[in-house]
Amino acid sequence: MDFIIGLLPFIVNGLSLGLLFALIALGFMLIIGVMELINLAHGSLFALGAYLAMVVISPHVPWLGAFGSWYLGLPIVLRYVLAIVLAPALVAVVGMVLEVCLRPTYGKDPLYGLLLTFGAAMVLEESIRVVWGSAEQMLQVPPVLVGPFLFGGMIYSKYQFFASAFAIFIIVLVWLFLERTPYGAIIKAGAHDSEMVRALGINLTRLRLFVFGFGTALAAIAGIIMSPIWGLRPHVGVDAVIPAFLIITLGGVGSFWGAVVAGVLVGLAVGITAGFASEWSLLSMYLLLIAVVTIRARGLFGKKSILEA
Amino acid sequence: MKEKKISRRQFFKRAGLAAAGTGAVFYGPWKYNRVYASKTDKPILIGMTSDASGQFANSGASDRRGMMMAIDEFNKKGGVLGRKIDYMHIDTESNPATGSRVTERMITRNEVTFLIGALSSGVANAISQVAQKYGVVYMNSNSSSPTESGENCHRVKFVWDGNGTNFAKAAVKNAIEKVGNQWLLLTNDYVWGHNTSKSTRKLVNAFGGTIVDELLVPQGTRDFTSYLLKIQQIKPDVVAAAVAGDDSKVMRQQVAQMGMGKKPAWINNQQDWPDVYGLPIDNLFGVFGTTWYYDLDLPGVKEFVQRYRQMYPDTTMKAPGNVYYNGYMCTKELLSAVERAGTTNNLKVIKQLEGIKVSARDRMQHHDAYMGANHQMQQTVYLATANDEALWEKDKNAMFKILSNVAPSDVEDTDAMAVCKMESYAETPTYEG
Repeated sequence: MDFIIGLLPFIVNGLSLGLLFALIALGFMLIIGVMELINLAHGSLFALGAYLAMVVISPHVPWLGAFGSWYLGLPIVLRYVLAIVLAPALVAVVGMVLEVCLRPTYGKDPLYGLLLTFGAAMVLEESIRVVWGSAEQMLQVPPVLVGPFLFGGMIYSKYQFFASAFAIFIIVLVWLFLERTPYGAIIKAGAHDSEMVRALGINLTRLRLFVFGFGTALAAIAGIIMSPIWGLRPHVGVDAVIPAFLIITLGGVGSFWGAVVAGVLVGLAVGITAGFASEWSLLSMYLLLIAVVTIRARGLFGKKSILEA
Repeated sequence: MKEKKISRRQFFKRAGLAAAGTGAVFYGPWKYNRVYASKTDKPILIGMTSDASGQFANSGASDRRGMMMAIDEFNKKGGVLGRKIDYMHIDTESNPATGSRVTERMITRNEVTFLIGALSSGVANAISQVAQKYGVVYMNSNSSSPTESGENCHRVKFVWDGNGTNFAKAAVKNAIEKVGNQWLLLTNDYVWGHNTSKSTRKLVNAFGGTIVDELLVPQGTRDFTSYLLKIQQIKPDVVAAAVAGDDSKVMRQQVAQMGMGKKPAWINNQQDWPDVYGLPIDNLFGVFGTTWYYDLDLPGVKEFVQRYRQMYPDTTMKAPGNVYYNGYMCTKELLSAVERAGTTNNLKVIKQLEGIKVSARDRMQHHDAYMGANHQMQQTVYLATANDEALWEKDKNAMFKILSNVAPSDVEDTDAMAVCKMESYAETPTYEG
């Protein structure tokens, strides 16, 4: 009994961490699903989102003058909400530009797209370094979200639980969008058979542009939510892209619930292992992947390939 | 004209002789890997082996800036031995394998005269093995695992940072007496973390404390919540953290978010300035060690800070820290040693660096410093904590409050000195660039 009581905080933390992992993987999953493209710039766009949010929340730009002072006088909650809306929108534009650059690679060796997104990741990271420097930055959050709270005799961080709740909100929102709107139906159809979608008269070029923008906006949202926990530095995206890739493989490429379930499983594995065999905590997610892929090569919710049919 | 024909036998004979001759010149018993006339006007080329990416990217930039300021000062005086000083940098990526490759390339292709730079002890060890193979003098500016001047010491390598044992010696006894004897070790799972915690464990046991647990933190950990929950369950009096680089920044933010900075007490072995600069003051909990602070009330410090600000007016870090200081100091001492030696010959420069004593005034520290027999600079160690919030609000650079300074002789790492078995001069290839 004592062991179970002792385990409980780690399960709670693992679930909370898992939801955040799922949030990181969501945009990555959409782009792979519809475009069959591994977007290696996902991590850099995650970082860019957080940096842009930092500017929106606390713009220390001298030429803003009186407007800057007025703006900084607005309540932090308002600036924070504005950042969550504005920064992903700006990152979506960057994502769309990247998609336009990717167009010549469609239908060719997938390696071209992979290399282009790898190059874009490096350009974005260096651009962040040039603009904001390589030192650690802080993304301000409303004071109401800062600090600890007591639960079951243990101290937890308010922000981590806010972040997990926000991750659930975004996951549900994306699910509703995909399942309950005609646009979602088109995206899902595009993920299933893009050529058929084109044959039905749907503009595939525009669909890809939209999906890429949407996926990168989700990366930015994840960046904004995660940076108060992980910190903010130009290469923070590397910390995001590796688990995202792992979660997609574990959950099954292109599967929405696969990404969510795999994210939670990875969170639980990392969180519980850190509590009881700390040196294995990061390794645990790779071991989980190996175990699942050995039994089920296409991941937990991946569809059968033609070869398996 | 009579045609000269070479038979196959003659051809192999001559080729064999030529190969043997070449081998003898370049790899012969003279142990000269590279020979240049040191009185030429060829610039002295410093190879900066510091990180620009990975866990120590930010500190790597500070390390290089320190070196560049020292080089700039010498160049303004006309260089060294009438030769200008140039430098080159290749990113060692906080990765030992890259460190080896970069060092090999800098020596064999770029023909550097000296090597300077390190943050990660794993990388520093890799660099120094290659440097020793060629005989290139290497300044380990900022990596602080006790092994660097212990079992991994080398004739060509000089270590300029205080190590984990030095800082632990300064802090442990006092903390056991004042805070409590139940200690938990939070250890970054790599060479520096392991060796620092090993040293802390030994001292805690020696002073009557108990290590109740040790939690290993893999490099690249981004969620410390599980560790913090475990600490709450164990309830130690003191957490001795040996966590560095980006991992340390993330840990600090999460400890602050959970309000655990005050209880239990935190002893953070060494706190590198670039890892905390710009963070809110509540992230700077606990007591930690450093070798230098920009606001020490000592002669020369203000001028040094002013020179830094003049040279780097646009940097976001408005005050230099310990990493910058070490980068500067080791470069300055290396170039001074070359001046005293009157040559860039490695063995002569090594002999100049061995046993040097530097006055407290020149070091801008409280006590005189001296080079130990294990090639580690024995220097003042400071214990610090977060500054008063009101003072920090007035000046965001004023992050530390120095609690005490400890003389180098009181914190000598005698274990490292005992296990250091470095190569003899005869075993060290001669190198002159």
